[in-house]
Amino acid sequence: MHAGLFVMGLSMELQQNHFEIFGLPVSYQVDRPALAKRYRELQQEFHPDRFAAKSEREQMLSMQYAAQINEANNTLKDPVARAAYLLKLAGVEINPEQTTADGEFLMQQMILRERLEDVRAAADPESELEDLGSEASSLFKTQESAFSAALDNRALEDARSALLKLQFLAKLQRQIEELEEDLLD
Amino acid sequence: MALLQISEPGQTPEPHARKRAVGIDLGTTNSLVATVRSGTAESLPAEDGRVILPSAVRYTEAGIEVGYAARAAAGDDPYNTLISIKRFMGRGLADIKNFGDQLPYHFADQSSESGAGMPVIETVSGAVNPVQVSAEILKALAKRGADSLGGPLDGAVITVPAYFDEAQRQATKDAAKLAGLKVLRLLNEPTAAAVAYGLDKPEQGGDVADKTIAVYDLGGGTFDISILRLSKGVFEVLSTGGDSALGGDDFDRAVAEWIAAEAGLGTDHDAATQRKLLNTACAAKEALASESAVPVSYGSWSAELNRDKLAELLDPLIAKTLRACKRALRDAGLSAEEVAEVVLVGGSTRTLRVREKVQEFFGRDPHADIDPDQVVAIGAALQADVLVGNKSREDLLLLDVIPLSLGIETMGGLTEKLIHRNTTIPVAKAQEFTTFKDGQTAMAIHVVQGERELVQDCRSLARFELRGIPPMVAGAAHIRVTFQVDADGLLSVTAMEKSSGVQAEITVKPSYGLGDSDITRMLQDSYAKAEEDIAARALREAQVEAERTLEAMLVALQENGAELLDENELDQLERAMQALRLAHNGGTAEEIRSRIEELNALSEPFAARRMDKSIKRAMQGHSLDEFDKP
Repeated sequence: MHAGLFVMGLSMELQQNHFEIFGLPVSYQVDRPALAKRYRELQQEFHPDRFAAKSEREQMLSMQYAAQINEANNTLKDPVARAAYLLKLAGVEINPEQTTADGEFLMQQMILRERLEDVRAAADPESELEDLGSEASSLFKTQESAFSAALDNRALEDARSALLKLQFLAKLQRQIEELEEDLLD
Repeated sequence: MALLQISEPGQTPEPHARKRAVGIDLGTTNSLVATVRSGTAESLPAEDGRVILPSAVRYTEAGIEVGYAARAAAGDDPYNTLISIKRFMGRGLADIKNFGDQLPYHFADQSSESGAGMPVIETVSGAVNPVQVSAEILKALAKRGADSLGGPLDGAVITVPAYFDEAQRQATKDAAKLAGLKVLRLLNEPTAAAVAYGLDKPEQGGDVADKTIAVYDLGGGTFDISILRLSKGVFEVLSTGGDSALGGDDFDRAVAEWIAAEAGLGTDHDAATQRKLLNTACAAKEALASESAVPVSYGSWSAELNRDKLAELLDPLIAKTLRACKRALRDAGLSAEEVAEVVLVGGSTRTLRVREKVQEFFGRDPHADIDPDQVVAIGAALQADVLVGNKSREDLLLLDVIPLSLGIETMGGLTEKLIHRNTTIPVAKAQEFTTFKDGQTAMAIHVVQGERELVQDCRSLARFELRGIPPMVAGAAHIRVTFQVDADGLLSVTAMEKSSGVQAEITVKPSYGLGDSDITRMLQDSYAKAEEDIAARALREAQVEAERTLEAMLVALQENGAELLDENELDQLERAMQALRLAHNGGTAEEIRSRIEELNALSEPFAARRMDKSIKRAMQGHSLDEFDKP
């Protein structure tokens, strides 16, 4: 029976890792257009709407698989979540409360944060914020390269250290965006 | 021998095997039903030819009236005529009492044990709740659909506002069940509107490219913005936002205030004057859609209202909607220039100034060809046609997001978000939690929805308990809590203790209890109060840590304080604990933290001695003497 085969195939697929789901190589470099395309193809196939007229069991399985596709997509789309997931696959779990011990980096972060706090008082807050934003995103890119290179060389401790910094910088970027929104209003 | 007939995939073998499916826009003020016939979607009219069914239900001794007749009776028979019932869906009595305006209904006093009951309204034909009232509207629309399609319906797509939370969606689905409808899908209203415009169809001679669509929905009392992405037949909701207390009624109010001020009426009017002012304002606003200036009069006062003046009055309100647009774009990670199509929905988008400002904001002409009152029902009908299986599967797929974050309460009344807002559904997320006390055998799971840091500022969705956890030391149990949200946005939660496999689960049913603050406002508050939240969170965290520290200290002292400490040390420790208790009960986060640190520093030698003793006890199996000897 077709339905039976389908159910089996589905439960087998649930074992795949996030990269395998989309047929992508396990790497920090992700082909974003390919991911987006494959994501939509899979949802076309497995979304519960495709099973609106099917049995409850199939509806349930399709929901579970569609949920997994969404989770995988969200993880791979997000640079920090993707890095954490890659480390997890490599056997390194990151505790969310962990923080970097690199004094120089922390000092740099403190200075950036102080500048962020002073933006409102700046002569031209918008351009100051823009400067901060581009600085933060270039630092982010640097750490992304560091992470990617470390992972490729299986230097997991270095990769971990880069991820901790990425988390820091992502938070800074969010704060910059929030302030930008406040200034716009 | 007859040959077997095989139809091509995606085609129905016989025309009359076509399923009967409708799309229903269950609105606050008006409702509609639409269906697809001969390839085009159309709203279905009543016998009198009108497509709109006012969302009004009147209960009489003789029976139930729905629609125009009921609405007309609202003035004479207010207690038995229920209008705008959609506002009560998924809400508790306490919420509704806080709505602020005078509600004429007799609410039955039904205090359930949890103090969280569905509001029940007394009518001449008995007590009814909002789900039942909505079901009457749905029944009337379903009958219209069945009559028109020549048989009972196979399924319906029902639209809900994008900002509808769990409880409101569940209540809508319950109403459909009560009306005997099979719900194929609850669909967000703005998404339905985009579908109605067939933006998924290839343009003439061209291919369908990936594009971004903004749906601007301004109704009488609410505003919604949705950002969608369309790619090869897949509609993906990227983000939604809005303001549930802003709409065309506010436009009327702004114009009415201007009239009152110009006519020297002051600001305090009785209900009749206010009604008359609003009617005058509304008429002038509508006339300005075709005229550049109109005469306005009230009593002996008269003046001219032109488009410039109207613009001046409305612009602050329209600006609020554009701010929400900006926010939704940001959530989607896009700029206004990247939006390829803009769709207008809702009667208030007939106001010219709205179109101008929307055009200006997005830099393109919005779609406004389909009647903005019907566009949602038409989109729902198109989607119903696909879901019921009348159309080939390649056609259309809608991926929706959840409008508000879902999380659970952790120690100290803080929210731990498991699923963030604007996450594509269906989705499942799991997180591990642990016990707070030694030997804890049960854990209360409180599910909440909202963006704020403190549980008290979020909407409470459900509470349940995981019992039978094997007794362990605090922090040793691993409790895995899983949230699962289906394609309709309905949540189920399971909790499991990993070592024992003990499980508990719940499908979330509304647990009511919050004030009138609805989601959108909660969302906006979360922005406005972000700073305040952080301070409150810091304080709460410090308090929790103080409690934890004090409890640990008490247990330690009971165990072997007398044995390991001299009188002076004991006295010092007790004084430090008292200082911490005082700080906990009224100090700032910083004060509490420094008291905790003092206590910790002071108790260090005690902790070391206790550690020594534990190590020794652990070694007892071998030979205590070996280790004890100097």
